[in-house]
Amino acid sequence: MPYIENKNSSSNIEHEATTSKISEEQLFYCNQRGLNQEEAIGLIVNGFCKEVLQQLPMEFAVEAQKLVGISLEGSVG
Amino acid sequence: MLDIKSLSASIDGKKILDGFDLKIKPGEVHAIMGPNGSGKSTLANVLTGKNGYEIEGQVLYQGKDLLNLPIEERAQKGLFMAFQYPLEIAGVNTNNFLKTSLNTIRKVRGQKEVDSLDFLKLVKTKTNNLKIDEKILNRQLNVGFSGGEKKKNEILQMTILEPKLAILDETDSGLDIDALRIVSEGVNALRSKERSFLIITHYQRLLDYIKPDFVHVLVDGKIAKTGCGDLALELEKVGYKEMGAIK
Repeated sequence: MPYIENKNSSSNIEHEATTSKISEEQLFYCNQRGLNQEEAIGLIVNGFCKEVLQQLPMEFAVEAQKLVGISLEGSVG
Repeated sequence: MLDIKSLSASIDGKKILDGFDLKIKPGEVHAIMGPNGSGKSTLANVLTGKNGYEIEGQVLYQGKDLLNLPIEERAQKGLFMAFQYPLEIAGVNTNNFLKTSLNTIRKVRGQKEVDSLDFLKLVKTKTNNLKIDEKILNRQLNVGFSGGEKKKNEILQMTILEPKLAILDETDSGLDIDALRIVSEGVNALRSKERSFLIITHYQRLLDYIKPDFVHVLVDGKIAKTGCGDLALELEKVGYKEMGAIK
C-alpha cells in the first residue's frame, strides 16, 4: 500500500491511484512474439509506468524501473 | 511442416472447427477462404495457442505435437501470426518491443543476441525494402497507428523474426491498394523452400499478388473444397452460396 509521510501540520494531502488489468489480448500478443508471461507483464507494466518514471530524476527513474521489475518477479501464475 | 488431423475446437460449448484436416509442406503457400463465422480466425487462434478453446484432434508442427506447447514456445519455434487486430500497448516503444522479441527468439535458437546498432541497421534495411516509414518504430507499439500502419507493422515484424510458418489472419482487410501491395511484397520476399504460409482472407484480391499453391474453402468448421489459385477466382465470381459450399 502506498503511504505519504508529511511533516507540515497545516497541509492538505490527497492521494490518487489508478489500477488496470493487463488485457488477456495484450498478453497473447506478446506471447505470440516469443515473450513468456513474466517478460510480457514486465514490458507492459513498465510501459504503463513510463510516463511517470520519465519525469523522475535519472537516479530515481533507474531505481524505480528495477523496483517494478522486482515487485513483479514471481507474481505471475 | 504442419499436419492437422481432425481438429475440432469449441468456445463456450459452441463448435467452431469440426473435423478440420490440413497438411502444409515446407515452402507451400495455402490460402483459406470462407464466409464470416466459418472458423477462419479460430483456426489461427488454436494454432498459435490462444486460451479459451476446448480442443480435440491433433496438430503436428515439424513432426512434434503442437497443441501442448505454451504460446511463446510455439512462437520461439518459428510460428508467427500476423494479427487481424494488432494490439496497442501504451508506453512500449515499437523498436524495443521488436528487439526484445527478436533477441528472445534468437536466444532460444542458440544464436547471438543482436545489439542496438546492428538491430538499427537491420530495421533500416527492412523498412526500406518494405517501403515503410521507419518513424513508426519510434512510436508506442501500435498506439495511434492507422489500420494500414498496424498491418504493415505486422509484416515488418514477420520480416525481422523470419518465421518458419507464418499465419496471416485477414491481414488484407481494410488495406488500400498501396498498402496491400506492400504487404504482399513483404510476403513474397519471404517465400522460400523452407518457409510456409497460411493465408486467411475474405477476398480474392490479395491472391492476385500472393499466388498460393492451394486454396481451401472453409465452411462450418471444415474444408469444403480445395483447389489451386483458380478456385479463388471462381469463388469471387459466384460467391460461397452458389458454389454449393453453403447449404
